[in-house]
Amino acid sequence: MIGTFPEIIAAAKKRTSRKRVVLPFPDRQQIDIMGNAVAMNLIFPVLIGDGKKIESLVKAAPLLSGDHEMIDERDQSRSLSRAIGMIKENQADILMQGGIEPQTFVHAVLDTKNGLLSSKLASFVSVFQLLRRDKLILVTDTYINNTPSLPDKQMILENALRLAGILEIASPRVAVLAAIEQVNPGIPSTLDAAILAKMGERKQFGDVMVEGPLDIDCALNQEAAARKGVNSIVTGNVDIYLTPEIDTGYALAQLLVFIGRMQMAGVLMGTARPVILDLPFVSVENKIVEIALAVLMAEREGSHE
Amino acid sequence: MMIRSLHEVSNLAKEKGPKKLAVLAPEDGEFMMAVKEGWEKKYIEPVLIGHPEKMKKIAAEVGFDISRVEQIFEADRQAVANLGTAMLFAGSVDMASKGQIPTSFIYRAIIREEARAGTGRTVSVVSLWEIPELNRFIAFTDTGVNIKPDDKAKAEVIRNAVFVFHVLGYPRPKIAVLSGLREIGGSIASYEDALSLKQMAAAGAFGDCEIVEATSFGAIFLGQKGPLIRYDDIDLSRMPDILLVPNLDTGNVLVKLDFFLPVHRRSLVVTSKGPFLIPSRSDFCDSILGEIAMGVVVAERMKGGIWT
Repeated sequence: MIGTFPEIIAAAKKRTSRKRVVLPFPDRQQIDIMGNAVAMNLIFPVLIGDGKKIESLVKAAPLLSGDHEMIDERDQSRSLSRAIGMIKENQADILMQGGIEPQTFVHAVLDTKNGLLSSKLASFVSVFQLLRRDKLILVTDTYINNTPSLPDKQMILENALRLAGILEIASPRVAVLAAIEQVNPGIPSTLDAAILAKMGERKQFGDVMVEGPLDIDCALNQEAAARKGVNSIVTGNVDIYLTPEIDTGYALAQLLVFIGRMQMAGVLMGTARPVILDLPFVSVENKIVEIALAVLMAEREGSHE
Repeated sequence: MMIRSLHEVSNLAKEKGPKKLAVLAPEDGEFMMAVKEGWEKKYIEPVLIGHPEKMKKIAAEVGFDISRVEQIFEADRQAVANLGTAMLFAGSVDMASKGQIPTSFIYRAIIREEARAGTGRTVSVVSLWEIPELNRFIAFTDTGVNIKPDDKAKAEVIRNAVFVFHVLGYPRPKIAVLSGLREIGGSIASYEDALSLKQMAAAGAFGDCEIVEATSFGAIFLGQKGPLIRYDDIDLSRMPDILLVPNLDTGNVLVKLDFFLPVHRRSLVVTSKGPFLIPSRSDFCDSILGEIAMGVVVAERMKGGIWT
C-alpha cells in the first residue's frame, strides 16, 4: 500500500521508461515544474506552443534544457488538438493542461467524439495525505460533475476504486457521505448512499466495503458512529469519501487544504490516458505528486510501449 | 466587547452564570455528564425534563445527584420539546438544550412558538468554530434545518447568523456565500443565490454586514493572487466570519470536521427569546459543556440588549 506522497514519487521512479508528457502552451511555472519532474527522472516533456517563447522559458529553466522536445504551434486551440492527437496516436503517455483555459481544456478532453474519455463518466479524485499517520484518503468527486445522478455516482465510485487499486489499497473502505446517517426520503443524498451501500453489500463493486449514508462524524470516528448506532468496519477508517454533489465536494477538498493544511494532489479519472488538470489550490510541490500519480497510472494501466 | 475564543466564553460563563437551562430529555451519558459539570461550574441551574426512569438511570451512571436540581417528568418526546421551548419563550428559563430528542421535534416546537409570538423569525442552526491561530470565531450556517434552501430561505439564515455575530460583539461580520462554482461546469444554483444575496445585502436587508465576492475557500484564500504556491503562504486572517453553506449536506460535512481537524464546534439556534443548544448526537462531554458555556454568554448578552 502506498501511504504517503513521497511513496507515490518513489513508486513512480520505478517506472519502466520515462513517460512522455505533452503540454500545450506551457507557462513559466509549468516549465519549472517540468524541470523538476525531469530532474527526478520521471518524465520526458513535449512542449507545444510558440517556439520562441518556449525557448526563452526553457533557457531560464536549467533543469530542463536539452531534455525536452518542442513543437512549434502558435495557435492555442491547434496546440491543444495536436496534444490530444499525440495521446491518441500513442506518441505521448500523459496530457497536461498547460496554459489552456480550464473549461476549454476539460471540454476538449472529455468530448465524447474527439476527446480521451474511456469510461462513461470522468470524475476528479482529491488524494490527501493524513497528518498523523501514513495513509492516503481519496475524496471524490471534487471537481468535474455538478449534480451526479445515482448511476453517475456509481461510476464516480468505480473511477475512485480504480485509483485505489493503483495506490494498492486492498479491500478499500468507502463512506458515502450525506448530512445524516439515517435514510431520510426528504434528503435525496441519503437515498443514493443507501442504494450504493446495498450494491456494495451485494459485492457489485468487488472486494470493497461500502457504507452509507454516513455523516462525516460517523465516517471519521468509530466511537461517534457507535453512539449513533452505526457499527461498521468502515467508520473511523475510511479510504474513499464519496461526496453527494459539487457544492460539498469542492468545499470539502478546499477546506481540508486551507484550514486542515493537508497536502492534496488531484487525479482526473475516466480518460484513456492520464490527464493532469491545473487546479489553483494544488501547491507547486504537490503538482509533482500529480505527475508521479499520472506516471503510476500510465505504468500500471499499460503504456503504449 | 468582541468575544474571540472559547477560553473567554468559559470565563464569561463563570462570571455571568448560573443561567436557567431547560434540559430536554437527557438520556445519554456524555450529555448528562456535561449538564452535571455545567451545574458544578455554576454556568447553569438545570431544569431536567424527560422520562423519569431514563433520567434517573443515566444520572446515576455519571454520578449526578439530580434530586438537587429541578425535574419535570414527561415521557413523550414531542411533549418534552414543546414544554422546554414554551418555558424558554415564557421566560421561565434563559436557554434550552436538546438532549436525546430528534432535532425535528425541537425545530417544530420553536417554529410554533415564534409564530405564536409573531416575531417572523425562522429557525436555522449557527455552528461556531474556533480555529487555532485565528483569534476570533467563524460560523457555518445553516447546518441543521434547511435541506435545500432557496435564496429567500438563505436570506433568513443570514439574518439569524448576523444577529448572532452582533450579539458576540462583531459589529460588521463578513459573509461568504459558499458555492461549488469553479473554473468549469457553468453556473450553478448556489452561485445564483450568492448573486441575489449580495444584492440584498447591499440594499441593507441584513443590517450591518458585508457579503464578500469569494464563493469558495480557494477564492477566499487565493483571491487574485493566482495559484497556491506554498502552504506557508495561506493567510488565515482572510477567512470571513460567516460561511453560508449551500445546502444541508455541505453544511454537515464541513462543520463536523471538528472530529478530524484541530477546531472546536459550538452549534446553536438563537431564538427570539434566547439560545437553544443543538449538540450533535455523537458529541462528547467536553464539546457539549463548551456549548452550554456559549449558551450562557449568548443568553446574557441577549438579555443585556447588547446587539441593538
